[in-house]
Amino acid sequence: MTSVSNNPADTDKTGDLSAQVVMQPNGRPRPLSPHLQTWRWHVTMTASILFRITIGAASVAAIILVGWLAALAFGPDAYAGVLAFAASPFGLFIGFGLTVVLFSFLLNGARHLINDLGQGLTLKPANLMSNIAVWGPIPLAVLFWVLLFATGRVSL
Amino acid sequence: MSGAARFHKGVKISERHGAGEWKTEKLALAALMPLGLWVLSSVFTLTGAGYAGVMAWFGSWLNAGLAIVTALVFFGFATLAWKVIIEDYIHKPGTSRVLMAVLNVVCLLLAAASVFFIVRLALGSAPLPAGLGF
Repeated sequence: MTSVSNNPADTDKTGDLSAQVVMQPNGRPRPLSPHLQTWRWHVTMTASILFRITIGAASVAAIILVGWLAALAFGPDAYAGVLAFAASPFGLFIGFGLTVVLFSFLLNGARHLINDLGQGLTLKPANLMSNIAVWGPIPLAVLFWVLLFATGRVSL
Repeated sequence: MSGAARFHKGVKISERHGAGEWKTEKLALAALMPLGLWVLSSVFTLTGAGYAGVMAWFGSWLNAGLAIVTALVFFGFATLAWKVIIEDYIHKPGTSRVLMAVLNVVCLLLAAASVFFIVRLALGSAPLPAGLGF
């Protein structure tokens, strides 16, 4: 790869195609893909990027869950410390965040699997599934916590 | 990014089997969908259950077994998913190789720790560290 310019004007003057084409190892030319800034924003892009962020957040969530298992394995005193933290405002904030991550993983993961099967790639379903994956986790997490409070599992 | 790329008649060898890892990742993600719903319902059950309630829950081998399966599938999925992210954004072969090694070790340790803790909870073992036997 020599140049990474995506501007067609760069190539018009000289006839140099290096800005539009990349040579494959087998010697054949392949068109160079335009990068993010070239495209008009679309919700499918947000959903795609959010899934990567969600996987990162889910990894952090998994580490927190392993810590929770460890606290249980270390006995009632250690677990009491975890529960005291979980009941604090910051603990509840973390707890809410964890449920947002779980809903995001489920909704965006389902969207990704459906798209991987070659389904829902036309404009309407792709937009619908992306919007559900991007916005769905927040109201679902709020509903989940409303139910937790309503059933008395969590109280302030 | 593992080792030098090999070619057959000018075509990269991995082009013939490169989808294997992708398929594994997708199968793991598919398995995580029902497991994730189970985690969601478990979180609802266990919130506010207290130490005794959670220990009783882990006393069921169905719960403990599903927890172990979830941990193994998730950390397997996380290994592959992070590998793709490293491949996409880290272009220095040395850095990439080091990060992959760290990733594999961390995921393996987390999976092993999960299984260790869950088995102890399911067996109702004495609290650590006294329960280790020394």
